[in-house]
Amino acid sequence: MKYVLQKLGLFVLTLWAAVTLNFFLPRMMPGSPADAAIAKLSQNGPVSDATRRAIEAQLGVPTGSLWDQYVAYLGQVVRLDFGVSYTFYPQSVSSMVSTALPYTIGLVGIVTVLAFAIGTLIGVTAAWRRGTWLDTLPTLTGSFLSTFPYFWTALLLLFFLGYVLHWFPTTGAYAATTTPGFTGDFLADLLRHAVLPALTILLTSLGGWIIGMRNAMINTLGEDYVTFAEANGLRGRTIALRYAARNAILPNLTGFGLTLGGVVGGSILVEQVFQYPGIGYLLFNAVIGQDYPLMQALFLMITVSVLIANFLVDILYGALDPRTRR
Amino acid sequence: MAKTHMLRRWRRAAIVGLAAAAVVLSGCSIQISSQPDPSIGDDTMLINADKGNPFFTRNFNPYLTNTRTASRWIYEPLILVNPLDNTLNPWLAESWSQPDARTVVMTIRDDVEWSDGEQLTPEDVAFTFQLLKENPSLDIKGAWQHLESVETSGDDVIMHLQGDDAPSLSILGLTMIVPEHIWSDVKDPGTFRNEEPVGTGPFVLGNYNDQQYSMDKNPDYWQADKIQIEHIILPATNTQLDTVTRGYDWSYSFISDVEGTWGAASEHNTWWFPPGGVIALLPNLEVAPFDDVNVRRGIALALNRDEIAETASEGYMQPAGQTGLILPNQEEYLDPSIPDGGMITQDREAALAAFAESGYTLDGDRLVGQDGEQLEFALTTANGYSDWTRAAQTVQRQLADVGVKVTLKLPQPAGYQSAISNGDFEMAIGGMGGGDPYQAYNNLLSSEFYVPSGEQTANNFERYRSDEADALLAEYRETIDPARQTEIVHELQGIVYDELPVIGMYYGGIWGLFNDAKFTGWPSAEDPYMIPQNYDSAPLLIFTKLERVKGDDK
Repeated sequence: MKYVLQKLGLFVLTLWAAVTLNFFLPRMMPGSPADAAIAKLSQNGPVSDATRRAIEAQLGVPTGSLWDQYVAYLGQVVRLDFGVSYTFYPQSVSSMVSTALPYTIGLVGIVTVLAFAIGTLIGVTAAWRRGTWLDTLPTLTGSFLSTFPYFWTALLLLFFLGYVLHWFPTTGAYAATTTPGFTGDFLADLLRHAVLPALTILLTSLGGWIIGMRNAMINTLGEDYVTFAEANGLRGRTIALRYAARNAILPNLTGFGLTLGGVVGGSILVEQVFQYPGIGYLLFNAVIGQDYPLMQALFLMITVSVLIANFLVDILYGALDPRTRR
Repeated sequence: MAKTHMLRRWRRAAIVGLAAAAVVLSGCSIQISSQPDPSIGDDTMLINADKGNPFFTRNFNPYLTNTRTASRWIYEPLILVNPLDNTLNPWLAESWSQPDARTVVMTIRDDVEWSDGEQLTPEDVAFTFQLLKENPSLDIKGAWQHLESVETSGDDVIMHLQGDDAPSLSILGLTMIVPEHIWSDVKDPGTFRNEEPVGTGPFVLGNYNDQQYSMDKNPDYWQADKIQIEHIILPATNTQLDTVTRGYDWSYSFISDVEGTWGAASEHNTWWFPPGGVIALLPNLEVAPFDDVNVRRGIALALNRDEIAETASEGYMQPAGQTGLILPNQEEYLDPSIPDGGMITQDREAALAAFAESGYTLDGDRLVGQDGEQLEFALTTANGYSDWTRAAQTVQRQLADVGVKVTLKLPQPAGYQSAISNGDFEMAIGGMGGGDPYQAYNNLLSSEFYVPSGEQTANNFERYRSDEADALLAEYRETIDPARQTEIVHELQGIVYDELPVIGMYYGGIWGLFNDAKFTGWPSAEDPYMIPQNYDSAPLLIFTKLERVKGDDK
């Protein structure tokens, strides 16, 4: 119990620090949201004085001292009210987030779970069949692919499978001509559009899970209790899965928890390359547009989910491995 | 055993590596072609005018900055201005007059209906202006910076101005008119999203979703006989690769190697890139030594504008002269007594002579002042504006040839905007000009916008002040005599040419990309009837000029 309370205290402290940083960081960026909007407009020609005044009036320049703003902001955070987005004015921040979140959870979330499951299974097989082609091939390709930068893989896939071969759509979450809804057509279209970004994330993250699992598994395979099980004449599969893998999976599980926490942030680069309407792409545009309210809500959401994942992993670890509780 | 194992591993790695390299290399020679969506019909236009990142918000309030582009084709202005040569096309106002310099009378068409069947009346026009007065945040064109009051009389709307203000006509004419019978019930027009727009324009909203929306022809449009487009589709996302491959009928985008990309994608692809503004060096006139006209002249003479234009715009744009005018569009305003159309050509000796007048002499490869310090400054431009950045790098190199040391500063666009607004720069790159020459000179020179460095201004970023310029600008406002207006514009050019408050470099482009497989009649250098941009109100006129290529002609 003391362990849980300790972790809880740490959680609250980190949360406060994150919320505070979240307030000050965007304000340290040079220029105001109105400046960002005007800079965008002035690329299409000089912006008149009147337009600038109207934009400032529309967006509302932050008023009051920094301290007052901070207090007001803390109040907002507690009420989960993040106001109106600047770049998507006059839409509310919560409506923007709720539009983008399902796409991100659907894409990045599912792929992360898939990558973890597939990668871990391959890692177990690779370790069990050490030295055979079942080991070298996945381990090598996995580590090779995971060294590619995210966006580079994304661009390659986009170019060859999208623009050259025309196998998959290249942008968006669904075809512009499809009407969203729970119909077979729409879901099929949604899946087709998710293939390229999903493949990117899968290809680049699989290697990590494979290698992590394989190495941990090789360690446990050398343990006495495995030798003992072998000597007892247990079936190979039973030893691999129930004796070795069960213990070897712990470090991978930690990583998985943390990655899941990060899912909410989406994958900015992948979403941007494929113009996928998720949280990552939304965040990118919020930063470009100096959209404080939207940025704050998104950063906070990401921070909190990572913190919660961290906290849960801590608790889980405490339960699984009594040594950590001391 | 271990050795063969290692060998096998290396061989595998090598094979994988080679395969990847082959994939990458083959990419260099692959030609991308346009793949239009077969489900889009011959009567339907696909435009990349509206970009919603990462998805559209349903906002058709034409006065909000984040409105959907098409809202400005649903609502129409009184007068449609072609910014290229400042032609005023009668639109919802059939005609207008200026009985004196403080009154504008607009005669409203009587054959226009709102898309819900109600009649457009002069009262709608008066209501619209009243709406903008009560909600200053909607007044994006700044009508009430000029207006005193608005009244109706028969088919006329009479606008009383705050003072003698002849040039305000075109600004007032830009105002988009909304229906009183709908907008009078809106509680807060400043945040009204207007999800079901009712306008007078050629199109009404069709299907809408987060990723795309469509527009359908308004059958009761007052110029319906001129509109041959039945539908318009606007997708939310469009990258440069999309622009080339998706089969757009009309795009707006700066594109590298337009001939090898856009041009190569389809035999029907054409383009027209007229100049739309002047890209200039803005010296901060409150920072030494830029307060010295000889230093500014020295810099102007040291620049090779042909090279800057070539490098910055990949050769699409011409170098710009020192008058602030955009040639040839604004040729009629050019003062014939200014030599060479205002073009300053590179002249190293003359540049050094100009610097010498202020005590700067060449010491080896450094230009040093009387205190022995090298002349050096920071040049600010916005990160991500690649043409400006290339121009800045070229300026840096060219000035190094006369011993001036330039460092580059590249803040994000918002930071850049804030720096020039607040005077937090030594020299910056910026755009100017375009549209009505009076407005351009007023924005550039008027001391009305003057504030010292450290305070924020919306125009006149270089912080210029001159009684002569102010007097000319004031006189222009009081004059409805076109001959005198021309003289004043000539004199203002003289000021910019002699005083160099900004240093012109090259023209900023308008990047119109067209496909004439389905529709012809696009604006072009031969027929520059409208600026070829696919946003704002400009398309209203272009839509009326486009003709369908019937199936047989293809």
